[in-house]
Amino acid sequence: MIFSLDLSLSDLLLLLPEILLTCWLCVVLIVDFVSPRLPKEQLAYLSVTGLVLTLGCLAWFDVNHISGALFGNMFVLDRMAIFFKVFVLGATILVILSSVEYVNRFALFRGEYYVLVVMSAIGMMFMASANDLLSVFVSLEFSTLGFYVLVSYLREDLASNEAGLKFFILGVFAAGLFAYGISLVYGETGQLVFSEMSSAQATPGLIIGFLLIFAALGFKLGAVPFHSWIPDTYHGAPTPVTAFLSIAPKGAALVILLRIFLVALASFKPVWVYLLVAVSIVSMTYGNIVAIAQRNIKRLLAYSGIAQIGTVLIGLAAGTKMGSDAILFYLLAYLFANIGAFAVVIAVSHAIGRDEIEDYRGLNRRSPFLAFAMLLFLLSLAGVPPLAGFIGKLYIFIAAIKEGLYTLITVGLINIVISMYYYLIVVKQMYINEPVDPSPIRISGPMKAVIYVGLAGTLVIGIYPQPFTDWVVEATLMFSDFVSPSATAVPSSIHGGG
Amino acid sequence: MGEYVLLCILFAPFLGALGLIFVSNRQPLLVRSIAVGSAFVSLIASIYLFYAYDPVKGGFQFIQKIEWSRQLGISLHLGVDGIGTPLVLASTILLFAGIFVSWHIKDRTKEFYIWLLILAAATIGVFMSLDLFFLYFFYEMSVIPMYLLLGMWGSHTKKYLEMTDPEGMKRRDSVGFIFNFGSNSKEYAAMKLVLFLSAFAVVALMGILLIYKYSGLNTFDILVLREHANLMNIPVLGTTLDKIIWILVFFGFASIAPLWPMHSWSPVGHAAAPAATSMLHAGVLMKLGHFSIIRVAFEILPETTREMMPIAAVLCMFSIIYGGFVAFYAKDTKYVIGYSSSSHMGYVFLGMAALNYISLSGAVIYMFAHAMATGMLFAMAGWVYDQTHTRDIPSLGGLSNKMPFISACFIVGCMASIGMPGTVNFIAEIMIIVGSWNKYPLQVIVAMLGIVLTLAYLFKMMRGLFYGPMNQKYGHAHDAISTVDRLPLLIMISVSIGFGIFPMHLYDVVRSGVDPLVVRITQVVPVAQSEGDADAQSGVSRSESMSTSPVIVNEVLATPLQISRGGSE
Repeated sequence: MIFSLDLSLSDLLLLLPEILLTCWLCVVLIVDFVSPRLPKEQLAYLSVTGLVLTLGCLAWFDVNHISGALFGNMFVLDRMAIFFKVFVLGATILVILSSVEYVNRFALFRGEYYVLVVMSAIGMMFMASANDLLSVFVSLEFSTLGFYVLVSYLREDLASNEAGLKFFILGVFAAGLFAYGISLVYGETGQLVFSEMSSAQATPGLIIGFLLIFAALGFKLGAVPFHSWIPDTYHGAPTPVTAFLSIAPKGAALVILLRIFLVALASFKPVWVYLLVAVSIVSMTYGNIVAIAQRNIKRLLAYSGIAQIGTVLIGLAAGTKMGSDAILFYLLAYLFANIGAFAVVIAVSHAIGRDEIEDYRGLNRRSPFLAFAMLLFLLSLAGVPPLAGFIGKLYIFIAAIKEGLYTLITVGLINIVISMYYYLIVVKQMYINEPVDPSPIRISGPMKAVIYVGLAGTLVIGIYPQPFTDWVVEATLMFSDFVSPSATAVPSSIHGGG
Repeated sequence: MGEYVLLCILFAPFLGALGLIFVSNRQPLLVRSIAVGSAFVSLIASIYLFYAYDPVKGGFQFIQKIEWSRQLGISLHLGVDGIGTPLVLASTILLFAGIFVSWHIKDRTKEFYIWLLILAAATIGVFMSLDLFFLYFFYEMSVIPMYLLLGMWGSHTKKYLEMTDPEGMKRRDSVGFIFNFGSNSKEYAAMKLVLFLSAFAVVALMGILLIYKYSGLNTFDILVLREHANLMNIPVLGTTLDKIIWILVFFGFASIAPLWPMHSWSPVGHAAAPAATSMLHAGVLMKLGHFSIIRVAFEILPETTREMMPIAAVLCMFSIIYGGFVAFYAKDTKYVIGYSSSSHMGYVFLGMAALNYISLSGAVIYMFAHAMATGMLFAMAGWVYDQTHTRDIPSLGGLSNKMPFISACFIVGCMASIGMPGTVNFIAEIMIIVGSWNKYPLQVIVAMLGIVLTLAYLFKMMRGLFYGPMNQKYGHAHDAISTVDRLPLLIMISVSIGFGIFPMHLYDVVRSGVDPLVVRITQVVPVAQSEGDADAQSGVSRSESMSTSPVIVNEVLATPLQISRGGSE
């Protein structure tokens, strides 16, 4: 491996979004420091401005097809990296807007909150570009560092502290697994860059190494059996942080999984498909069945998130370019629906002060807009047409059925029905039950903006998906070199479970 | 309108629903007029469609194709044939009538009409989809509005309402109560409906995905698939793939039809729903099942259909008899009509199972006829419920004094439902019976028994509601006097009787859709041996049963295709 550190200015251009955002972050920090009397909303809008500028920069990259690799292939900027950077930035913008009101609950360090959120976002942007195991490790830990603090931001709240501690201990444990996995893989192959591992032999050390890496990323994703921190952490963390945690790190972990499974391990597909099938089935079923018993909306969304990740892993198990298209598309749908749902949770808990499902009684009478938005977000998560989640699920199923993963699809379809039940329980509370206290709920401006964006995304992707499918198909073009398209057409007899 | 008529029919209700979002509930008249306006546009367009459809040309007409997703091979491909056209017409008539039936809804009027319009539009969408994806898309889309319509504006059963003691009240409100089967609430009905339909819908989706994969054409287009998909003779799990797909598709869609033993959501759902929703639900939503089976299983897997359709012939007997008996013993107006619908849907399956021109045309006409008849009955049961706030037959009685118009219409509704000559139901029923006699004499006898049962339970209900001593508690009940209240009933009655007296255009349209389908199913390979002997032994009885109904004989003779078919058999 040769590191070339003589960067030209045009190389630095590839890092422009990260550099820009880091500088902006410092500006936000300084502004917070020098003018303590500035209303904290202004800091939120300042951070959002920086994020939007970075988004514009990425859009310019995407339009002009700027791509390349830096630092001896440790950092790549390809279409997929751009997609995931846009994804993370979009999630960050929506999360910051939905925290504007919530931040007033924090006793101290309200300004630093935004800094930490953006810092995690920068870490995840690096994850999207990470093309070797070391840069994955560094960027992963960098992004998680911010989350450790964010999760326990409600200093007076025991639940938040507990959430932070759980998240920290398990996160550090996962980091240890990851580092150990890297050492094994490097010892076996002498390589750290994904694209150069594809010719490796399947030695026990390599298999264990990748299993450890998968386990560590499984923690970030919250796939069963690595999910145990999810419910408590989601429950205890400040709700905007939960929203952030439920979407952005999952996207960032998925891009790494995609690069590992479809590039580094492309030749071992017959082996790892079983691993993914097993994890996917267990995640979907466990997440959905346990979600039925939940009384708290944040826990419900946590378990539903576990199940959603199970569905995403179907696309990964398909192991084709189409599978990765489907994952990207599904993530887009999930982004809008999930952040939207959490935005409604934030708005309701701001008015009521609690977030039990019982508290949603008669929400339709109190705020028809919130109830309608929540209805559409939940139905999109459940996968009901004409919403984005339906197309996402169908895309994944189509990708999987082309690979003959019948068992997995059957389980996935059954799980749609199971999930319908608990989403509709919330709908029942909102629409059918009468409210205890019929006073209307007021929604703040930024919150409304987030919910409108979520609604627009959920409906537009569902009704007119063509531009989005075009986008994801272009974003994953790199995989067509590694996954031979001819292999996808032949029905494989191994997985034909019926 | 011309070629864009399908888009107009489909999107008028959607646009109406969209427009309603921006209207306040404080202007109920504006809300209602937007709903009526969009339904009216849709109705006029579908009447135009019905009469502009050219039965001589046949096939799929008014085709619209808009590309939707290149990567997945999906396009919004709309088109109607002789089977879809009458069902589209029935949907728009029932939507239009349903809006007037629910004219007096005060609670959240706007939301009610939004969901009603979406429900109807999704149903219409299924009837004109020529793309498997969109067929499923609209099918699944029609389920969720049902949940909200039932849950928000529905009514509980009597037993549920009687749970007024503190313990009962507590149990009623607990989350787990929807699993309480004995005394079911509207929440129970709504949840059961959604879970049942979704569960079976994903079964059908599995079938659709298998068709997509094994055809290898990377398209969901039904017209392409039926010409080019070769799904036969692929061995899977000890049988062949086409059989598995057929089973998945058939049972997936038959649940909404509802075929015994997958019917149990349906009467519960009918009973809990507000009147307009029951009308659409029983009138057209249930036909989605038959229609989707025809569109997917019959079109794409004709040979398998011929082999497997006896399954439907067996199950439809249970549907007819079971539904009939339960309806006879039910004490709840809407349960009676709900079970009667599920019983009557058995006739459609019988007509489909016999797989010949007469019976299949009869099945399609029956779908149309039943939509009108059951729509009337549900509208009137809804009126009675609105006036008396009960669905309990024993506590009602003697209402004909208070509501002569409704009771007169009810008689017509009963007559139509039984299949009196002069209503379109008669034509449909007689065609099903005549057409299926050769192949399934036992089922035809059962169907006859079903007609007798229908007579019994409908008359029993009519006596219970409108005649006999009157319960003074309901002295304040009044008749449908205003035009708004009478209009929907008059529309449905006139359609039912109109097509009963002048059925020719309806018949021609349906035949133009059924003929090519039956040809595909029966003539792709040499006629199976099992068919031959069944025909030979029942040849005499067939001619007998034909001569008993001069109307049918005329119609049969008027169609040259049938003669040539008869000759070749």
